[in-house]
Amino acid sequence: MKHISRREFLTSIGVAGTSMFLPKDSQAWKSRAPENPFACLVDVTRCIGCRKCELACNEANNLPEPEKDFEDKTVFEEKRRPSDKAFTVVNRFFSNKKQDKEGNLLPTYVKIQCMHCQDPACASACITGALSKQPNGAVYYDVKKCIGCRYCMVACPFEIPAYEYFNPITPRVRKCTFCFERISKKGGKPACASVCPTEAITFGRRKDLLQIAKNRIKQDPGRYIDHIYGEKEVGGTCWLYISDQPMEELGFPSVPKRPIPKLTETIQSTLFTYLWSPIVLFGVLSGIMAINKHKEEGNEK
Amino acid sequence: MKKIIFLLTMLCLVVSNSYSSPDATTKIRKDYHPRPSTWVPKDHIKALKLAQKKYEFVKDVFKEDIILRQMRFRHLGIGIKDIKSTYMVLQSPFVNTYEDIYGPVRFMHGAHAKTLNENCVICHHYSPKDSPNKILPCRACHQDAFNPEHAGRIGLKAAYHQRCIGCHKQRQKGPIGCTGCHLKNVPDHKKLVKLPKDPTPTQVTQECLRCHKNAGQEMLTSAHWLWRGPSPYTVNHLKCTKHGKGTDVLNND
Amino acid sequence: MKNRPRPLLDTPFWTPGMLVATGFMIAGIIVLAFRYTKGLGYTTNLSYSYPWGIWIAIDVASGVALAAGGFTTAFLAHILGKKFYKPITRPALLTAALGYTFVALGVFVDIGRSWAIWKPIIFQNHTSVLFEVGMCVMTYLTVLWIEFLPVIAERYGEKISILKSLNKGLDKFMWIFIVLGVVLSCMHQSSLGTLLLIAPTKLSSLWYTPILPLLFLTSAFAVGYPMVIVETTIATSSLKLSSEMDILSKLSRIVIILLGIYIALKLGDLIYRGKFWNIFDGTGQSNSLLIEIVFGAIVPWIMLLFDKVRNSRRLLFIASLLIVLGVLLNRINVFIVGFNPHFAKCTYYPSIGEILVTCSFVSAIFFLYRVFVTFCPVISAPKEGGRK
Ligand code: SF4
Ligand code: SF4
Ligand code: SF4
Repeated sequence: MKHISRREFLTSIGVAGTSMFLPKDSQAWKSRAPENPFACLVDVTRCIGCRKCELACNEANNLPEPEKDFEDKTVFEEKRRPSDKAFTVVNRFFSNKKQDKEGNLLPTYVKIQCMHCQDPACASACITGALSKQPNGAVYYDVKKCIGCRYCMVACPFEIPAYEYFNPITPRVRKCTFCFERISKKGGKPACASVCPTEAITFGRRKDLLQIAKNRIKQDPGRYIDHIYGEKEVGGTCWLYISDQPMEELGFPSVPKRPIPKLTETIQSTLFTYLWSPIVLFGVLSGIMAINKHKEEGNEK
Repeated sequence: MKKIIFLLTMLCLVVSNSYSSPDATTKIRKDYHPRPSTWVPKDHIKALKLAQKKYEFVKDVFKEDIILRQMRFRHLGIGIKDIKSTYMVLQSPFVNTYEDIYGPVRFMHGAHAKTLNENCVICHHYSPKDSPNKILPCRACHQDAFNPEHAGRIGLKAAYHQRCIGCHKQRQKGPIGCTGCHLKNVPDHKKLVKLPKDPTPTQVTQECLRCHKNAGQEMLTSAHWLWRGPSPYTVNHLKCTKHGKGTDVLNND
Repeated sequence: MKNRPRPLLDTPFWTPGMLVATGFMIAGIIVLAFRYTKGLGYTTNLSYSYPWGIWIAIDVASGVALAAGGFTTAFLAHILGKKFYKPITRPALLTAALGYTFVALGVFVDIGRSWAIWKPIIFQNHTSVLFEVGMCVMTYLTVLWIEFLPVIAERYGEKISILKSLNKGLDKFMWIFIVLGVVLSCMHQSSLGTLLLIAPTKLSSLWYTPILPLLFLTSAFAVGYPMVIVETTIATSSLKLSSEMDILSKLSRIVIILLGIYIALKLGDLIYRGKFWNIFDGTGQSNSLLIEIVFGAIVPWIMLLFDKVRNSRRLLFIASLLIVLGVLLNRINVFIVGFNPHFAKCTYYPSIGEILVTCSFVSAIFFLYRVFVTFCPVISAPKEGGRK
């Protein structure tokens, strides 16, 4: 009696468990990233911390008036994060220890916003597909589908999506839209990129921008470190950064090079493509049930 | 808060008077040096015209060693004397890519050239490929930003800003902040201000504070409010130490 | 074992425990009123860095795990056809049905747009683990109540004729629902573990492992019977019924195997990933893991090895309770303690409001369990001493 139960339990564990590892290579995970989407290259060494990008973003997305206006430089005293009221924020760092002639530390300014990952974890996680990667590169949020589960926020490696926690009935997830409507029009540019006075934000096609970034680094090796943040990070992002120091010094998280959704999507697709494993399990279990019933009836006779 | 309102009320009284009541006596200040009726700001008009001048986009550029280039220009006798206008207005559709937050910069071309020892190549760094002896303005090569055909080339706005700010920073001379060079385009307040027909002074102040939230608080930390010292320039009140608004009976309710 | 399940109309209903439960429920409703008028931000300590709190970690993730008793006993009694275990299936089924109802309710209040909870049925994202979990939980909840329908029909079938005919019609297909229940459980019990695999940078490496789904599944298997033991013991002792020790101690022998598998996988995984010694780092997280493994798994496992423990009502209860708490702690660890967002300004602690709502849900489960056993034929244990 006990023996059967033991064996059967092992079977069911086996079916659900081991199948996870079996066809891993037979169903290799494929990236669904667009080939050459729109992208932005942020050159940290060019940014002067004027916060015009914040202003433009605020206007372009009809965000509420900020508490401190966009001229106010005291906001740099603390490290800010994008929020439901500001899709992009500029932070100030003194991490590179460079000084001017009088010995004052020189600041480095970094703008942050959604990275518009090539294989976005948020979109892979989203239960209804309210977040989705668009062919033009933007990771687009469709409020009509959102149920507010906040799994995208759990998933995002850059902790970008913000949430309207104080809206009781219709809270939205809020993040940089890549100015989806603007860039969908011919010749349209993101508000922040077109306002930026120093072209610290360059807008273009991802492949071109990677080339530009490489050229800039090659032409001025003293000015940059030889790394394009976002080229390989989380499998590639549409917002790229070049800088004079590792981006991790500038408040960026260190993230793996592989696409974040790869593991979960591999598990899910190996287990549940055509719902094969549940169907097999169903078959096995009902088989066992039938046999046992049969035995039982036999016994009763 | 009460304090601020009272204080700014006084300020706004003056303003509101001139807006809301047409029959209030308007102050007349005598113009000691009246402008002749035929006068026009010639230089400015010229500069504005120059700013409108279009240049054909230079596609291919030529870069040479900066010192050689400078020597060649010296040799050719290109220098400060070639600068025709007193100043330039850096105004171009290529610059206003978002909206006009600021007015255009008036750039003292000659003065800058002089401080840089007539070293033109500091700014005029490249030339058209086929005519290396030509010096062209920035906007001949730097035009639209993010031009996909010339992906590496920055737009005019960035070219100006990078060059100006970069140099000012490096030499620690000249302004770096926005309003150091630009005048701010103050938005038309007629559209922004919302007041009832005959506003009370307090209402006007409150309306100002609606947007200029910090102005009230800032005023409270200013000498204008806090002043406790003597007033040596105030006739008949030289020794009086009660002329800060904060101590003034009128407002200090 | 000849006892048939029957309603317990003869036991007093308003015991002190029930009054406390009612109090919590009222408090929970008040908090929820604030949640629906002022927002989640007002009632919870959730932030951009910690988007999920105890409503997900306890009400949902642990709720699902602890309701595993339903499908594990169904497997034993119905699929393997072990008639011997029949008496515990109904209470286990009831706990599972109530548990999942409140899992669903937990999700309902936690998501910002509760009214949109049906949307995943139409807008499906097949790469989303949460989608799969959501669909499974939804279907399983329905299946559970369908499985429970005969119990209600047995009592009220005479009065409400639809119930009776519905029950008759379903009778033939009941096996489908029973098997389906087990399949669905296996699916989402494991997928709950997959949920956090999307956050490799946030979930501490003490818990982050590709076999997390397998660990979740095996721990759900392992906690199913201990949960039945705990709830049966509580129910029979508070209702002054016979303790059904013969069934429970037999059940506990299966637990040894199931828990053994889980422990082996868990420790094996830690060793394989080279994280084993990190358990003893002494940080808050490693201590939490240590407690989870030692007191939540190894100690009760060793306890269960002894005949004496398995045959003593008290000791068996303690061992089972340890396992239940161990799995509960495991879920909390994975969803909250081990969750290290990079930009968190401060760590997450549940707010009073969150705790009250969670307590009220637990109380409501107790309350409704009591209501059902009082009015429906769920429990078959005879009155204390009745059988001796
Ligand atoms: S507008 Fe450009 S220069 Fe100004 S803060 Fe933003 S990125 Fe930096
Ligand atoms: S940065 Fe975060 S929110 Fe933006 S696309 Fe990537 S995963 Fe999504
Ligand atoms: S792309 Fe648009 S939404 Fe995103 S930061 Fe820039 S202005 Fe804001």
